[in-house]
Amino acid sequence: MWGYYLEQLIGSLPLFLKGLGITAAVSILSLVGGTIIGFFLGVIRAGGIKPVRFLIGGWVDLIRGTPFLVQLFIVFFIFPDVGIHLDALPAAVLSLTNLSACFICEIVAGGILAVPAGQKEAAAASGLSAYQQMRYLVMPQAMPTILPPLVGQYVLLIKDSSVISVIGVVDITRVGWLTVQRIPEGLMVFGLVGILYFIICYPIIRFSNLLEKRMKFGKYRF
Amino acid sequence: MGNTGFEKKITLLRPNDIKPTFFKKIAAMGIKDMITFKNVNKWFGKHHVLKEINLNVEPGEVLVVCGPSGSGKSTLLRCINRLESLQSGEIIIDGIKVHGRETNITKLRAEIGFVFQQFNLYPHMTAIENITIAPIKVRKLKKEVARKLGQEILDKVGLGDKAGSYPSQLSGGQQQRVAIARGLCMQPKIMLFDEPTSSLDPEMINEVLDVIRNLANEGMTMIVVTHEMGFAREAANRVAFIDEGRLVEIAPPEKFFKNPKNERTRLFLSKILAR
Ligand SMILES: Nc1ncnc2c1ncn2[C@@H]1O[C@H](COP(=O)(O)OP(=O)(O)OP(=O)(O)O)[C@@H](O)[C@H]1O
Ligand SMILES: [Mg+2]
Repeated sequence: MWGYYLEQLIGSLPLFLKGLGITAAVSILSLVGGTIIGFFLGVIRAGGIKPVRFLIGGWVDLIRGTPFLVQLFIVFFIFPDVGIHLDALPAAVLSLTNLSACFICEIVAGGILAVPAGQKEAAAASGLSAYQQMRYLVMPQAMPTILPPLVGQYVLLIKDSSVISVIGVVDITRVGWLTVQRIPEGLMVFGLVGILYFIICYPIIRFSNLLEKRMKFGKYRF
Repeated sequence: MGNTGFEKKITLLRPNDIKPTFFKKIAAMGIKDMITFKNVNKWFGKHHVLKEINLNVEPGEVLVVCGPSGSGKSTLLRCINRLESLQSGEIIIDGIKVHGRETNITKLRAEIGFVFQQFNLYPHMTAIENITIAPIKVRKLKKEVARKLGQEILDKVGLGDKAGSYPSQLSGGQQQRVAIARGLCMQPKIMLFDEPTSSLDPEMINEVLDVIRNLANEGMTMIVVTHEMGFAREAANRVAFIDEGRLVEIAPPEKFFKNPKNERTRLFLSKILAR
């Protein structure tokens, strides 16, 4: 029996690879989008005017304090009520991008605030514009603090993306659900699902560890 | 002494240093102030930190400012390059209102070197990178030109061989001299020093004061917040005493030290000179 199922499973490997592709595509899109938006928000959160800082802080807390599944349902099932109709895939990317932007915002703001205030003052005093202060002095010093948790966040994002299977996106997890209906050997099927996630995440985890070591002993001296 | 800072500047300038604007200024007559405080008031919330400050600093003048901790010395300096805002009054630098709405503040700051008590060097950059970043990004100097200028200035502060060192590889005195070089590299009109030697070990104080003394001799307009009264005596044109946000006394050093008018100045001096 086991051998038969294994053969079947190998037969549905193309489907798994397709799921892998979807998971990778959704992850990369929201990871890139989330990073860009997250950095943008983080910089404002650390140094913008009060009402805007407060607004971003509120939004970030709201998103971090509610389950991702609920956020996804709201985008997919409630948005249409107010006239925003999104297919499953765009809805998934939008929700994931928002989620990662919020986490990355906090990471970036934390890194920026960890740079001593005197650094910015010295740069301002020598005539550098706010943008130049950020670009040449604050960010380079904040990056060692930001990078390790940022990469860690990417791993979380990829794993969190499995939630999007519930609205019908055929990612790896969804492929697992579909397959297990034909091959009732759950351990085997979801074992494969797990392995596929691990294959994507493991290199990133290693990279994150490497970065952490680099940042500790690297060229940034304090 | 008796020299005003302005006369000093004339005698010490080399001929090719004298710019046409210099003569225009003389022609315009009356010595134009480099720094002017007019009824300046500064509050931090309910705390009145600077009270009705009136003050002029002439081109080439060296003003030493002293006063007890918390009296507002740092705040006074930080208002000059708008690191702090004012609540009333105005500060005018070389004819430009510092806190004016239309004032291009980054442009104005480029003309004012600021040296902090804690150095505030950029830890991720070498000494030469520390001092050339602003000339390159603000003055738009070519990198090679800036480096050459930077190297000259490092030579001048006695750190010609430290161009490639990171701040963490330098002693406190060396770091503070790099910080001074960073200000000078912008070729500013004014240098401001906020207790430049008070976080240094005693044996390093003089190497920093020497650099500041040389600047004074070259005719740089400077305000130096310091409690180094020996330095004040020889290098300052005038010494000011600030207490609880008020400019209590300002006088040439011989008068300030021998014959202070105000009782509080006397008390402060006796305390500080007894140390
Ligand atoms: N950012 C700030 N917010 C609120 N109060 C401040 C701030 N900066 C300074 N103060 C207060 O303003 C007063 C003057 O401070 P300032 O730093 O100018 O004093 P100082 O004369 O430089 O003292 P010190 O010799 O200790 O450096 C102090 O009472 C200080 O607590
Ligand atoms: Mg101070």
